[in-house]
Amino acid sequence: MKNYPIWKSFIVILLVLLGVIFSIPSIIYDNETDNWFLKNKINLGLDLQGGSYLLLEVQLDVLYSEELENFSDSIRLIARENQTKINQIKLDNEKIIIIFENKNNISEIRDSFFQLYRGVSLKTNDNQLTIELDEIYKKDIQDSAIKQSLEIVRKRIDESGTREPLIQRSGKKRILLQLPGVKDPERIKELLGKTAKLTFHLVDDNNSEALIANIEPFGKMIVSDIYNDNTKYLLDKRALVGGENLVDAKGSFDQTEGHAVSFRFDTEGAQKFGKITSNNVGKRLAVVLDGVVITAPRINSAITGGSGIITGNFNAQEASDLAVLLRAGALPAPLEIVEERSVGAGLGADSIAAGKIAAFIGMLLVCIFMILIYGTFGALANISLIANLFIIISLLGTIGATLTLPGIAGIVLTIGMAVDANVLIFERIKEESLKNTKVFIIVKNGFERAMSTILDANITTLIAAVLLFAFGSGPIRGFSITLSLGVIASMFTALMLTNFLVYMYLSVKAKKEINL
Amino acid sequence: MFGLNKIIPVEPNINFLILRKKFLYLSVIAIIISIFLLFFKGLNLGIDFKGGTLIEVSTKNTSIGELRDILSTNYNDVSLQEFGSSDIILIRLQNKSNQESIETVNDVKSLIEDNVIEFRRSEFVGPTISSELLYRGFQAVSFALIAILIYIWLRFEWQFGFGAVVALTHDVLFTLGLLSILNIEFSLATIAAILTIAGYSINDTVVIFDRVRENLRKYKKMELIDLFNLSVNNTLSRTIMTSLTTLLALFSLFIFGGEVIRPFALTMIIGVVIGTYSSVFIAVPTLLIFKFRPQDEED
Repeated sequence: MKNYPIWKSFIVILLVLLGVIFSIPSIIYDNETDNWFLKNKINLGLDLQGGSYLLLEVQLDVLYSEELENFSDSIRLIARENQTKINQIKLDNEKIIIIFENKNNISEIRDSFFQLYRGVSLKTNDNQLTIELDEIYKKDIQDSAIKQSLEIVRKRIDESGTREPLIQRSGKKRILLQLPGVKDPERIKELLGKTAKLTFHLVDDNNSEALIANIEPFGKMIVSDIYNDNTKYLLDKRALVGGENLVDAKGSFDQTEGHAVSFRFDTEGAQKFGKITSNNVGKRLAVVLDGVVITAPRINSAITGGSGIITGNFNAQEASDLAVLLRAGALPAPLEIVEERSVGAGLGADSIAAGKIAAFIGMLLVCIFMILIYGTFGALANISLIANLFIIISLLGTIGATLTLPGIAGIVLTIGMAVDANVLIFERIKEESLKNTKVFIIVKNGFERAMSTILDANITTLIAAVLLFAFGSGPIRGFSITLSLGVIASMFTALMLTNFLVYMYLSVKAKKEINL
Repeated sequence: MFGLNKIIPVEPNINFLILRKKFLYLSVIAIIISIFLLFFKGLNLGIDFKGGTLIEVSTKNTSIGELRDILSTNYNDVSLQEFGSSDIILIRLQNKSNQESIETVNDVKSLIEDNVIEFRRSEFVGPTISSELLYRGFQAVSFALIAILIYIWLRFEWQFGFGAVVALTHDVLFTLGLLSILNIEFSLATIAAILTIAGYSINDTVVIFDRVRENLRKYKKMELIDLFNLSVNNTLSRTIMTSLTTLLALFSLFIFGGEVIRPFALTMIIGVVIGTYSSVFIAVPTLLIFKFRPQDEED
């Protein structure tokens, strides 16, 4: 072979062989395999294998206003200690303004408050105190809320029996979930839709006037019944014990009450619960879940064992779901589903089949076309094109990229565009053949002159693909991955493999002229 | 072997630039109409950018009419559409608040459960997400255009960069105008298609510009208009070949690739045709505004 270094042919053959070998795992596609080699297969995106994608947003506003509520309660207590009357409290999303009757004790009140909540911005103006949630304080609330939510979501999803879920933070206040193979996203959504904040409060049955007037006295709150909005309870605002002290909860069946959730407290919870129940025999104890009373049984005797049951009109599924929620713990704030994309396994399989056909037919058409136009040279370009496809598949498999439906479109598109580099080279060779007579010089010049054009032309496509990756989401990223890999692979196959094949062909056949 | 390549001569001599004014008028009119359409008709935004709910079902022994009857008694803002075959139906619902929409999906599913073999797909995009996606898509396209411009500036003289950007903007607007008039759904995949079209069109333009640059060095005395014509002719068979192979692959995707990917394939087909046209008839004539050689300034 004239002018063609052996080391170069060796590299070309080696790279193409590697491409073919590492495509094998993706072509066989054995899901259950443990073989280290066969594991290097393409990951299918949720749109191809079926599954559910959910984007949840933590309702931070709820947390901020809860925090401001806490502030206002503390201020009332401090004001009472300092014997200062409060005229008015104004609450909005960002701040509270407290207007006192006089300004005598305002700096003492401010200082005592600051002892409790450091890092909050406090301003006094005459008899007015402004407490503001500044950005740093908000960010702290936000970060801990997201962290806690992630953990709780993970526990709930694990309990639901989903295989290989992907759960991660996305942006400032969102959680992204990918649940492959989930057939019934509705149940998952149910599980995630509840905050599951469980608290126990004493019922105040001695103040029916407040309940009728619907005015909450200080330290009390009015809560409605889960099954009947018109049934209201007046409860102590302070929770005596809460879900954070639970160590276990499970669905159970009670002879008289039907389906129920039985629970067990940790030591601290058991002690608290025992003390409350022994001090308040005869009173009612309300079980509050997410702001509604599930049940409010009368305390007949002290419960010191640290366990109990929650009854309600549950069916078996509801009871066991509630148990799951209680075991996993409460979310710091409600989660809202802001985006959902669920694909059934049927559509995924259809998409794969359609993609395969489109790729095969596209390939066939391009190959026939290349042979019609360029003859033998076209056939050589086709070998490069097929090698190109193997290289894309092997790269996708080894880097563990995810193949999506737009990704398949990217591969089909690459099949059409990959021959471009070959076309550029062949057209150059055609032109050079008008100026020269020696075949090897023609070929050499053709490849060299086409090189810079090929690089320029492909880099612009790569720029578009990279930006698409940076700004795109999920499936679209799959497209930019296959397009980029395709462009890179096509430059290699055209400049190295086609080059090698053309030299081989010309020297083996001992061609004296180029028939392009 | 077959010698079909001889159809396009090695050195064709077609006077493209003499036609430039006619095509310029054509393009200007097309762009004005496109902008007009974008403002007054707008794009057929899919749920990615408009927000809303979409459910794809395969039905058993139920026609689209029966399904519509079941649903329209409960929802007045529901629209149904056959999707590729008569037993596959797309159900779309208007956007409401996040919470409400999620509940609606559940309700719709339980209403038609008995008429359905499989829920093939259900998608919900909330209002905040859809506006974010639109913003990010806009960002991606803008940054891509700027990055490509910078690259062309670095590799060529700035005049080429100008020509390339004029051609690109033309391609994007023209494609969007056609999407509007043909009522093709505008989704995240369309953004991908538009970016790819930008990359493809620039690719085409770069190949011709590359040749213009080479010829500028080679033929120092040639009239610019003849030189541009020669460059377009030199690269003509490549331009046609690459467009044809790309279109072959895209038609295969359009016909066999399945219903979901069809709007993407159609957008790409439109874009490839427009991109090829603009490289020859828009990008190259734009270069005529500039004087590339000192002696031209004396003319």
